[in-house]
Amino acid sequence: MKRIIAVLCIASLAVLGASAAFAAYPEKPVRVVNYVGPGGLMDVTSRKFVSIAKKFTDATFVVENREGAGGLVGMQAVLEQPADGYTVFAATTSNIAKVLTSKKNVDDYIWGFEWIAMLMKDPECLIAAKDSPLNTWEAVFKDALEKKGAQIWAGPAAGGNDHLMAMKVWEKTGMSAKWIPYSTGPEAMMGLLSGQGAVYVGNGADIGGREGFTIVAIARKERSPKFPDAPTFTELGIQGLEDEAMWRGFAMKKGSPEEAMAWWEDLLKKVAADPEWREFLEKDGIDVVDYGRPEFNAQVKKDIEDATHYLKQYGLIK
Amino acid sequence: MDTISHLFEGLGSLMGPVPLLVILAGVCVGILGGAMPGISPSMAVALLLPFTFGMSPAMGLVMLCAIYLAANYGGSVTAVMINTPGTPSAVVTAFDGYPLTRKGQAGTALGISLIASVVGGFVGIAILVLFSAPLARFALKFWPAEYFALAILGLSTIASLGGGRWLESFIAVLLGLLLNTIGLDPLSGVSRYTFDVLRLYDGFSFIPVLIGLFALSEVFSGIESGEIGRPPAAPDKERSPWPTLRDYLKLKFSMLRAGVLGTVIGIFPGAGGTIASFIAYDVEKRLSKNPAEFGQGAPAGVAAAEASNSSSVGGALVPLLTLGIPGSSSAAVLIGALMIHNLQPGPELFTKHPEIVYTLFSSLLVANVFILALGLLGARLWIKAALIPKRLLYPLIFAFSFIGSYAVRSSVFDVGVCLVFGLVGWLLSRAKFPVSPVVLGMILGTMIEKNLRATLMMGGFSLFVQRPLSLTLLILAFASVAVPVLRERRAARKGTL
Repeated sequence: MKRIIAVLCIASLAVLGASAAFAAYPEKPVRVVNYVGPGGLMDVTSRKFVSIAKKFTDATFVVENREGAGGLVGMQAVLEQPADGYTVFAATTSNIAKVLTSKKNVDDYIWGFEWIAMLMKDPECLIAAKDSPLNTWEAVFKDALEKKGAQIWAGPAAGGNDHLMAMKVWEKTGMSAKWIPYSTGPEAMMGLLSGQGAVYVGNGADIGGREGFTIVAIARKERSPKFPDAPTFTELGIQGLEDEAMWRGFAMKKGSPEEAMAWWEDLLKKVAADPEWREFLEKDGIDVVDYGRPEFNAQVKKDIEDATHYLKQYGLIK
Repeated sequence: MDTISHLFEGLGSLMGPVPLLVILAGVCVGILGGAMPGISPSMAVALLLPFTFGMSPAMGLVMLCAIYLAANYGGSVTAVMINTPGTPSAVVTAFDGYPLTRKGQAGTALGISLIASVVGGFVGIAILVLFSAPLARFALKFWPAEYFALAILGLSTIASLGGGRWLESFIAVLLGLLLNTIGLDPLSGVSRYTFDVLRLYDGFSFIPVLIGLFALSEVFSGIESGEIGRPPAAPDKERSPWPTLRDYLKLKFSMLRAGVLGTVIGIFPGAGGTIASFIAYDVEKRLSKNPAEFGQGAPAGVAAAEASNSSSVGGALVPLLTLGIPGSSSAAVLIGALMIHNLQPGPELFTKHPEIVYTLFSSLLVANVFILALGLLGARLWIKAALIPKRLLYPLIFAFSFIGSYAVRSSVFDVGVCLVFGLVGWLLSRAKFPVSPVVLGMILGTMIEKNLRATLMMGGFSLFVQRPLSLTLLILAFASVAVPVLRERRAARKGTL
């Protein structure tokens, strides 16, 4: 009996040893670093992603929150780690603009990363209060021209993604308005309900579950299946705003092993096809994508160009 | 009537071992988290958020709300016992709670803070259940002009905080306001006085500053004055240390007033429990027959602070449930919890999942009862902290201050902030400057600046006087500073004649 146990022990050790020798990424827990607090949008997204990823891999994920300076603290925390593929940054569009507005070095803070997996595109929307007389684009536009730049647009932080979207709309339509930043998106929406502003710039999910709002325009090629009543900018006769979105995705420090990056690209393909994941995003009108490095890096490049152009034009950076 | 029957249904659904255990666990975690400096109610809620992923949406929400409510009470324990507010909203509790402890009446302070918390909690929940719809409509009347005026009203409480030392209070509040300008400009995002230090982009973290100003500075003063060598004040063996029913009854109106104030101020996003407790404290001091007692250990001061910060929980849930907008940072985490469970926060919750809403309401009532029970049990333990010799207590406070400061953002920088503000607090109190106006300035600075500038962008200074609510609040604020100053001057003139 003892001998059998001994043999089994040795055999199992051998198996373990062999598997260790062929160990592939990930052989230890992967840290997913968030720049928002627990319960924040990106935090909720990365935790949901991780919980669905567990259907396809045995890897262990640890979701961490490194808040501060609009994502710069989180980015720096990841860049300080070795490029071994075990620390991943959970990023959104607004991180790109943050690097630019705070005059950080783009080569360090943005191109210090390899952008490996883009999960989604949340189309940008212009939102108005349903009961307001300005609840269609035509009315908003007419009012803006009458007010000659004094119309108020509300949203979160100045220079952020939603502010950029507002600037794009202003430039493409030739109108002008004032951007009043609130501490958070929901507070800006509350401002809209109480009649402080005409338009809130955000995403479709913002009006889910909240009464009294309507989307006056959505930056998508076609109408969104979730919000079939919301006209696209093209329908309204405004060109060049077919594909403006807030994205969320994962980035790794530049120079990380090819194997780790390919593993994440492959994992995203699987998660993106998962019905539970699709339901989680599509219920809010978010488009699921499964972009790997080529598409994601191109998106980031376009974002930098856009942000630089508009931030300069409206005087937020020199 | 519908509401009441729904509420009973909700209560019924909680009367099983699992829901009760969930609430009990939430209350335990909340009290401990609140008592630990560095863990604010919103962090306590956030820390336990991942545990609720596996629960049903109702149970998850019930647990998080129990934590939120209990943490607001837990913060008062350390405020009373060792002058270390465990949560920002417990700052005001320390004003009178700690002096009571120093006088050997820790039992009075602990008892009153517990009962006031529970009473305030009930007031907040009752208002939430009965009046959330009209309150939400009221909240929508607030424009940046009103938020600015509300913050100014909050600032006017320094007139009574300083205990007659007008000039020192004024300088201290200016210091707080100035410190607030460090970091990214809240409107344009330009960085101010950050010297390119990433950790300063969001300004000073509030909790390390708080711990430094209150707890560390107290330790430094204790070392300087030689108090460290003295034995702790011996408790009175003859008398029970706990307040009697009559003591509590004497404070019933203070608790109710503070409860209503806390709920109403709690509904405004960004204002919340901390400002509510400053204003409620100020109101009680002005109404009191012997205002000089405030700051020296007035039971009514403790009651006002605790009742208002606990009732603000009910207030913060009003915009969350009626508009889908969080009234506080803890309520913001609750929105995340709802989203994880594929539920949309907001009015739709009432129509689509009324059972969840009413289970939540009733669970708050149950949690409040648990807070009372655990608080009564715990107080017997916590009161022993007054018997720890200072030469053991001070190193412990030191260690907890550092851990708490680090815990907020996992940052060593914040430990340094805590230490520096410990020294600042010590120097200020040596020079007889009150510390609490600094805190008030830091709490209100951003709110004042942001809303002032937003109002100016929207329509200029005239908005402040054109909007009746803002004008009323500003007049109130002006009067609350002018009246005591003028009265004292008149008294002084009479004295010299």
